[in-house]
Amino acid sequence: MKKWSVMVAAALLAAACSPQNPPATTVAADTGGSSKGDFGPPQGEPVEAVLTSPPHVPPPTNRHAPAKVIVNLEVKEVEREIAEGVKYTFWTFGGTVPGSFIRVRQGDTVEFHLKNHPDNKMPHNIDLHGVTGPGGGAASSFTPPGHQSQFTFKALNQGIYVYHCATAPVGMHVANGMYGLILVEPPEGLSPVDHEYYVMQGDFYTVGKYREKGAQPFDMQKAIDERPTYVLFNGAESSLTGPNALQAKTGERIRLFVGNGGPNLVSSFHVIGEIFDKVQPEGGTHPQENVQTTLIPAGGAAIVEFHTEVPGNYILVDHSIFRAFNKGALAMLAVTGDPRTEIYSGKQVDETYLGDKVASLAPVAAAAEAKSTGTLTKEQQVKAGEVLFKGTCSVCHQESGQGIPSVFPPLAKSDLLKKTPRRAIEIALNGLTGPVTVNGVTYTSVMPPMSQLNDDEVANILTYVLNSWGNDGGVITKEDVQKVRASTKRPEGAAH
Amino acid sequence: MKSTALVLLMGAAVAATAPPAQRAGIPAATFATILPPAPGVATVHVDAFELDRTPVTNAAFAAFVRSTPAWRRDRVARVFADERYLAHWRDASTPAPGAERAPVTQVSWFAAQAYCEAQGARLPTWHEWELVAAAGPDTADARSDPDWLQTILSWYARPASDTLPDVGGAPNYYGVRDVHGLVWEWVLDAQSMMVSGDNREQGDPDALRFCGSGAVTMEQKENYAMLMRIATLSSMRASYTSKSMGFRCAVPRPVPR
Amino acid sequence: MMSRLFAIAALAWLAVPAAARDSDPPGSLYRFEAKLTSQDGAAHGLDVYRGHPVLVTMFYGSCQASCPLIIDTLRATERAVAPKVRARLRVLMISFDPARDTPAALGEIARTRHIDTARWTLAHAEPADVRTLAALLDVQYRQLPNGDFNHSTSIVLLSPAGETLASTHALGHADEALLKRLAQ
Repeated sequence: MKKWSVMVAAALLAAACSPQNPPATTVAADTGGSSKGDFGPPQGEPVEAVLTSPPHVPPPTNRHAPAKVIVNLEVKEVEREIAEGVKYTFWTFGGTVPGSFIRVRQGDTVEFHLKNHPDNKMPHNIDLHGVTGPGGGAASSFTPPGHQSQFTFKALNQGIYVYHCATAPVGMHVANGMYGLILVEPPEGLSPVDHEYYVMQGDFYTVGKYREKGAQPFDMQKAIDERPTYVLFNGAESSLTGPNALQAKTGERIRLFVGNGGPNLVSSFHVIGEIFDKVQPEGGTHPQENVQTTLIPAGGAAIVEFHTEVPGNYILVDHSIFRAFNKGALAMLAVTGDPRTEIYSGKQVDETYLGDKVASLAPVAAAAEAKSTGTLTKEQQVKAGEVLFKGTCSVCHQESGQGIPSVFPPLAKSDLLKKTPRRAIEIALNGLTGPVTVNGVTYTSVMPPMSQLNDDEVANILTYVLNSWGNDGGVITKEDVQKVRASTKRPEGAAH
Repeated sequence: MKSTALVLLMGAAVAATAPPAQRAGIPAATFATILPPAPGVATVHVDAFELDRTPVTNAAFAAFVRSTPAWRRDRVARVFADERYLAHWRDASTPAPGAERAPVTQVSWFAAQAYCEAQGARLPTWHEWELVAAAGPDTADARSDPDWLQTILSWYARPASDTLPDVGGAPNYYGVRDVHGLVWEWVLDAQSMMVSGDNREQGDPDALRFCGSGAVTMEQKENYAMLMRIATLSSMRASYTSKSMGFRCAVPRPVPR
Repeated sequence: MMSRLFAIAALAWLAVPAAARDSDPPGSLYRFEAKLTSQDGAAHGLDVYRGHPVLVTMFYGSCQASCPLIIDTLRATERAVAPKVRARLRVLMISFDPARDTPAALGEIARTRHIDTARWTLAHAEPADVRTLAALLDVQYRQLPNGDFNHSTSIVLLSPAGETLASTHALGHADEALLKRLAQ
């Protein structure tokens, strides 16, 4: 470690001394991991760990030296509701899903007592991901009902870690709710915040369907096939909604310890309406900033922090969104306080919106209406023609009617239109292939027949063209178009 | 009890008799076991034997305790039974009222084996028990039937109850009752489980920890019903008792002339 | 055949002189009346070293792997204690292979491994007692088809009255915690 920091310091010095060179890339110093996590033997009197039930988190340890911490955790098999009217037998650490939250400091020596209540049917043990040692403690804590086991470990790595039962079959014990979180604080502690909360996602597998009432047993086949019936925060559908919602005020800093017990699914954790100012992805040491949705692996955890500005209900979800709305992966943070409309106004305007197409086709509809009543004016034709021209002809001839030099002939001040305006009808209906000279320039291109246009439309378009961009004016009527249509042949492929 | 012992002592000399009414005859069999008799050996042979049709009841165990006071809960040595031995009984020689025909629980391996020996029997071995437990209502081997498995797993999901129902559930293929869904049961070779408490250690045994050829690795990991029985048995020491652990007795069948 | 043995074992198990049993503390292993025969042919119970702290273990004679190590571990434990303690300490090794480890075979092992039989006993147990002894000493074992045994290693320190003071699974070196208890 010493050598490393000397090298980094040297690099920084070198960078400082030669300002014209770009500074050497500085690599963030690491915490040294477990080999740097042993701060020596415990000092002072042994401390009994404060364990809390979710969603609460024990207070910071406020310790500055390694201590001996006694943890007493009891396994209890409990039957309670997983959803309204749906009963499930959970196997729990401390009577809750997730199990009690354990908080220690890096370097602490933890004396762990695991008790298996005599009313339980199954043996249980515990694997804490924060333990360095075989099985994470599982081999040393295998406990039948009515007994307790003890083992001791030193918390060498700081971080937020999952713990879970590892008794055969592990998947079933985890699926029944046997998981929780242990926080190993960094030596300097975590920065102060206004609220810390404990949320843990899990997937559950029942023989019956989602919300099918009654006592539901665990379905092993669904678990193997990874087809959960419920995906829940804190072990029940209503655990963090309505009156059980997490609470905060505006202007507060919130920290969530978010775990994922699995057994199978990965979580895409997101709080609707909030952005995570800081995320420690996978619970690691170096935060990322400004994150919308963070991935939490099964058997993993993350720490997210954000600051509340605007009052309202913020919904915590797994953003694999069918899990939120069809399997129960929903929780709520209720934030109270004064509105701050400069940050979020709420709905300001609500008016009808017709969309582009509808608004612009109004003149066309008006012209058609007028035609049918025999009141069609040149102005109406021009207006309708303009809309249609823009939608069809301007692609090649351009909105300005200029065309594209050497490619598409202009319609503006076109001598062809001036001389033979009626020829336009024929060209529009039948297209034009081969050379054509307009304003002294010969164009050899292909204009496809505009066979999708009806007589009214052709009439209105051409009337618009004749009255635009310095052309001479004039009117083409529907009857004019009909005559040309009847007396000329449609080329191959034209509609009619 | 004494007469049964006498009959069995004479068993070697007379032709095989039919099992007494409370026991079922189980024919010899070779079958795929979840606990290999030796590493890498998937099947085991079990000789013919007789097995109690139901777990031993509170009433039967009370009769034993009355005739052998050394096994009263206020006299038994702590080395043979823990503090909770028969704790649920009304007194040292009387079961809780109404529980006479329920299976006796909160008995240690030592106590169970002593009871069986007093009947001229012994606890069944794991493989004898497994052979009978593999049966469904109509077949000798129902282990690949998902419904059979789900019924068993559903029992594991229910918490232990304070009052157990009476013995005498539906018989399985062998005419043996209550093999699943009532209580865990002691086996003779509970000392031979030799599997690690940590499920994830399977397949990577410490060669010196279990001298010989390493720890036994459980086969058929999808057979969760049996897996959990082994996990439970291997978590118990011989003096431990549990609300959910009872037992029944077995007798190796006398060999006919 | 087996059933007769069981019947006898049952009677032996149950018909225990009240005096000997009641005087032992409730947690004493000496409450179990085992029938052991040592390598020199003498018959005695589990309490052969009653009145001494004794290290008790189980093994089998044809074991090639850990059993020689058990003897080394026991010797290392002896060496690690103060001479005063060593003078009082005894060692009892019980075989779970009574068929092959007859007293004569055990005597051979004692000679080959230079065992100090003044303070160590290699014992043959009645077949019916082997399982109970393993249960009391928390030793797991299983006989394999070829006659070898799979077994865990357990060295138990008993008090002069037969109560378990400490136990270890450590092989190859003396166990610290066990040594501490011995010193007390």
